[in-house]
Amino acid sequence: MRSTILESEIQKVIALAREEKRIDGRKLDEMREIKIETGMSENAEGSTIVTLGKTKVIAGLKMDIGTPYPDNQDEGSISIGAENLPLAHADYESGRPGNDEVELARVVDRAIRESKAIDFKKLCIIEGEKVWIGYLDFYTLNGDGNLFDAGSIASLITFNNAKMPKLDSENKIILHEYSGKLKLSRQPLLTTFVKVGGKILLDPTFIEEKSAEARFSVGTTEDGFISAMQKGIGGSFTFEEINKMIEIAFKNSEKIRKQIAKI
Amino acid sequence: MKQVVIPGELLSEERKKLGTNVYVFDGKIYSRVLGITDNEKEMAEVVALQGMYIPKREDTVVGIVNRVVFAGYGIDINSFADSFIPKKIMRNELKLGDIIIAKVENVNELKEADLSFPRKMGGGEVIEIIPVRSPRLIGKNGSMLDVLTNGTSCEIFIGKNGRVWARDGNITLLKKAVQFIEENSYKDNLTNAVEELLKEKK
Amino acid sequence: MKNEKKVDYKKDKKRLDGRKMDELRPIKIDVGVIPNADGSAYLEWGQNKVYAAVYGPREALPKHSADPLKAVVKVEYRMTSFSVPQRKRPGPNRRDQEISKVLGEALAKTIFVEQFPNTEIGVYVEVVDSNAGSRVACLTAASCALADAGIPMRDMVSATGIGKAFNELVVDLNKDEEDAPDAVDIPIGILPNSEEIVLLQLDGLLTIKEWEQVSKMGVKSCKNVYEIQKQALKKKFELGDAGKKIVELKEDKTVKKKVKK
Repeated sequence: MRSTILESEIQKVIALAREEKRIDGRKLDEMREIKIETGMSENAEGSTIVTLGKTKVIAGLKMDIGTPYPDNQDEGSISIGAENLPLAHADYESGRPGNDEVELARVVDRAIRESKAIDFKKLCIIEGEKVWIGYLDFYTLNGDGNLFDAGSIASLITFNNAKMPKLDSENKIILHEYSGKLKLSRQPLLTTFVKVGGKILLDPTFIEEKSAEARFSVGTTEDGFISAMQKGIGGSFTFEEINKMIEIAFKNSEKIRKQIAKI
Repeated sequence: MKQVVIPGELLSEERKKLGTNVYVFDGKIYSRVLGITDNEKEMAEVVALQGMYIPKREDTVVGIVNRVVFAGYGIDINSFADSFIPKKIMRNELKLGDIIIAKVENVNELKEADLSFPRKMGGGEVIEIIPVRSPRLIGKNGSMLDVLTNGTSCEIFIGKNGRVWARDGNITLLKKAVQFIEENSYKDNLTNAVEELLKEKK
Repeated sequence: MKNEKKVDYKKDKKRLDGRKMDELRPIKIDVGVIPNADGSAYLEWGQNKVYAAVYGPREALPKHSADPLKAVVKVEYRMTSFSVPQRKRPGPNRRDQEISKVLGEALAKTIFVEQFPNTEIGVYVEVVDSNAGSRVACLTAASCALADAGIPMRDMVSATGIGKAFNELVVDLNKDEEDAPDAVDIPIGILPNSEEIVLLQLDGLLTIKEWEQVSKMGVKSCKNVYEIQKQALKKKFELGDAGKKIVELKEDKTVKKKVKK
């Protein structure tokens, strides 16, 4: 395994955090600048590039037809995948997605799925036979931490802008023809924190993640719901810390929603 | 005239003295890298614009202690392999993150560097830049280094490996100047421009 | 192909997308787009969109893959799941593996690999949108990323697809042309100075006479691609007076102040 991060750099990040400072000069609860581009991939039903500081991810959606799950005969579904491409960081390795990428994809998936933003009943084509499955995959193009939030923003925008493929009389997809859009009833977003040197940092960079004793992500909606939570890495949080992070998350995600609404 | 050339670009159809980053094919001279050349010069050579640090004998480098083991220290010199300094040649004990300055004594076939005359630097900070651009931080006969030292009052040491060590003085200003030099390393009148920049920001 | 009318390029004198027979699709290249990489490039070639990044020379991993005489050039060609009309399953397939191999071999020829024994030069290319010709787009982008990483090379590698569609030889086939009943696809990559061929594949049926024609078209088109690569690499470094930059900085500041008021 490669590691291009120096141990001494990690010690520096921890020492700074203890004094409530960050290596890039941000405040502890300050998010990096977000840039959004959409529609770059014409073969995708929706696609988005999100740049969060130096972190850059690309998400794309393909709608496909599948069979419903036995216990939900009248519901379609979504599936989210994540991959840290070896082109995105010297420490990323090629090969099948590892545990970190699977966790990342599942947390981003849960925040959207469990918010009920997408009505799976509307993705039903023929009950018990044919349903829509939305395959969304996002890939890291440059990795500088907080792939949870970057992936979550990119995924949400991609679903927001997704075109639905047209079906022929036999309910088969007509390539490159579309009718209507996928509608979302909520705008769920993840907000991620790490604990470094006993302090809570919003939107961690790569080196801050490497320095972290614990990580926490929370999915929030604009109407006051929590749709997902995930505590990661060893280490722990107090209830007080969790409550504080949830409070910041609601405020912070509202700012991002405003930016998304402008697209 | 100075110009930017890309790998494989023709530099001269005539015979010339050969400098760095060039090769000869079929009697003609070509560039090996993306860089700057001056066709009015007697020698055909290209100053590389990009590239990582490859250790060479006699280079002075700024290293960071990356590993401490029983027999000595693993030193990160911004190259693809760490160097090793045995404890017995160090006068003081080193700990993780300590900064040292040393000379490359030898480079083996694996491009690993043996370091000699290691010196521990007390305190200070390290600024990193694209290694091939670091000679511009020194300038002709140390002219740029003088400008930086006078303008920021920092104690400065420039390693060939794209690392600048600095202590005391206005380090924030130094960082700005170093970044400016890195971004404009291939332009003319750089020393004057940096002088101007340091005056402006003081 | 759902073209009811019979397409015949010999009669039509024009291609389905309006191009001339020897015309490339529009190509745009930006270098240095992935900050973490030692060198990188983003390339758009018609609808194709690809990223290329270079890491190295660095320690070869796994250790037994190292060559004591030269650097190992490792290329990975991949496509995102949404880069094709029908979703591609994640993970490399046999096509990806073959393309990775031939691209790596094409690049190894031009890099001065002897200069970096025991190391690895990792070249990663990712297709995020595609419409025929993604491998030549990737090879072209990868060669720019290598130059951007400061890797010493004999020459750039410039590539294009040449082929046959609808009864005529054409440059840079798109997907509709690749689907023509008589389609022949020939990806070619050359070193522009020496005109040596470093990538060559062919799918389809071609006469020797047609091949002679194709090879001439290939060299000419690759050299057009080369000019675009050259410009893309050079535009990053605008020579001139460093003092100008400071003037720009000062002007920027005054603009910002005005806005604040």
